[in-house]
Amino acid sequence: MTTQHQIRRRAAATTPVLLILVLLAFVLLVLTFGDRSTARMATDALISVTLVVGFWIFAGNSGVISFGHAAFACVGAYVSAWTTLRPAMKTMLLPGLPAWLAQAEWPVFAAALAGGAVAALLALVTGAAILRLSGIAASIATFAFLAMVNAIWSNWTPVTGGTSSVVGLARYVGPWVALGWAAAAILVAALYAHSASGLALRATREDEVAAAASGIDTFRHRLLAYALSAFFCGVGGALMGHAIGVINPDAYYLSLTFVMLAMLVTGGIGSLSGAVVGVVAVTLAGEALLTLEHGVTLAGVPVSLPPGSQQILIALAMILVLVFRPAGLLAGREIALPVRWVGGRRTDSN
Amino acid sequence: MSKLGLFDLAVRYGKLTALANLSFTVAEGERLFISGPNGAGKSSLLGAISGAVKAAHGRVEMDGEILSGRAPEEIARRGLSMVPEGRRIFAGLTVQENLLVGTGQRRDRGAVADDLATVFDSFPILGERRHAPAGALSGGQQQMLAISRALMTNPKLMLVDEPSLGLAPKIVDEVYERLCALQALRGLTLVIVEQSSARAARVGGRMLLMRGGRIVADGDAAGFAAQDLLTEAYFGDAA
Repeated sequence: MTTQHQIRRRAAATTPVLLILVLLAFVLLVLTFGDRSTARMATDALISVTLVVGFWIFAGNSGVISFGHAAFACVGAYVSAWTTLRPAMKTMLLPGLPAWLAQAEWPVFAAALAGGAVAALLALVTGAAILRLSGIAASIATFAFLAMVNAIWSNWTPVTGGTSSVVGLARYVGPWVALGWAAAAILVAALYAHSASGLALRATREDEVAAAASGIDTFRHRLLAYALSAFFCGVGGALMGHAIGVINPDAYYLSLTFVMLAMLVTGGIGSLSGAVVGVVAVTLAGEALLTLEHGVTLAGVPVSLPPGSQQILIALAMILVLVFRPAGLLAGREIALPVRWVGGRRTDSN
Repeated sequence: MSKLGLFDLAVRYGKLTALANLSFTVAEGERLFISGPNGAGKSSLLGAISGAVKAAHGRVEMDGEILSGRAPEEIARRGLSMVPEGRRIFAGLTVQENLLVGTGQRRDRGAVADDLATVFDSFPILGERRHAPAGALSGGQQQMLAISRALMTNPKLMLVDEPSLGLAPKIVDEVYERLCALQALRGLTLVIVEQSSARAARVGGRMLLMRGGRIVADGDAAGFAAQDLLTEAYFGDAA
């Protein structure tokens, strides 16, 4: 017999599938009707899904806001560059690399995995110190971590190229590769949220003292989520580099931190669907505003916004969401098939 | 061997002494009420047992194992469960998620489903609303949920802090009725902080009367009602 509970579980399991299908439809739509620039936009949006869903795995389940996740993207991007750039290029741009890394020519997929893995490792090490702090103190410490990583990457010139860009990355990331990783991030995020550790972490988000009284070790679950989260941000950072072929430390600093936060807050930090919807909403709004910045002709009258309007208006939109819909567009709800579609009639009272 | 033993336990907050060298034991399956006026040290006592409050001196033992100095989550995993004051349910999680939170560290996976069924048998309303957010429950239902959540960790000893706080008397009757039924069913040892000693006398069990961080009386709760001890504990020399 199928119980009400099993039906509910089945409905919950449709969330990641639906989200991935929506993104798939988005890619097909863009590739069918769009041009090269819309394909680029779709790629960027899907990379952002990987980054923001990765970010959500930690922030959404633990309730602790991190300002440090752009640093994981930075590390992932450079690890992928170190392992995939042509050796001749590395001798020229990054003379300080150890010999084995200078000679490395890894497949791009392995390099992306390595980028994620190194980011996760870094999260384990730094998180071991940072995540013992209480919520707000931990948030501030993650910001300090971001500043440190940026300072190291901007000054360790022989290995990172310093503030100048590292060029010549293989541009293998298009909508399909980005979709693949976005789908992987969504699946892993959904699995984690419904795992015992995910449930424990969500309990600590609600009430840390009561969670401890239920036998939950807050630090352990936070650290696990932090590492998993850093993995996808590392991969996302690598994808960013390989989408445009160029990386530099400032591309993974404050503006990326802001955009990731804006997307998560806009969609709603309380649900996985919120993270995805936030990316789509902010990307679309951003594209529309950028078009206006470049100028359009409305009824014969040329209209254009002053440069910089895009950032200002997105920041304004984020503030408006915080004021009028503090839990975000989805307010913690998940997109899922209605219960009656996945088996049986609704019989419960809620 | 007693279930729980406190030996010369003291708790201080700065210069303030909350608990002054308390010693007592609780037998297996016993129901112990801790009563007394505000500031008597009741919550500090539960905190010191559950690990939330650090003892300045002395020790707490459960089944002969020393609990003092361990983290609350570790003490919880050893079979001591706490129903905190003000319930502190996980409002944003569903009723069922609240119940499963504490089961992550249990080894007996199969028994978890049985325990869940037992909870839904004892509190049908929780079964009906298992997929609703816990924050949407009424105060009385939330108290039932907090008790059930503590039960789901399969405790040997359960501490309950002020279960009647903010509830209508009729609901309090119901909470105690269920609590006592569950205790009988599971052979639990219960330590309950209950401000109202009259309530404790009606439910029945052993009672410790506290005042100013000390135990002023220890005996059968029903027996206290007949004596002047209560008045003395609450009003002291003024009475």
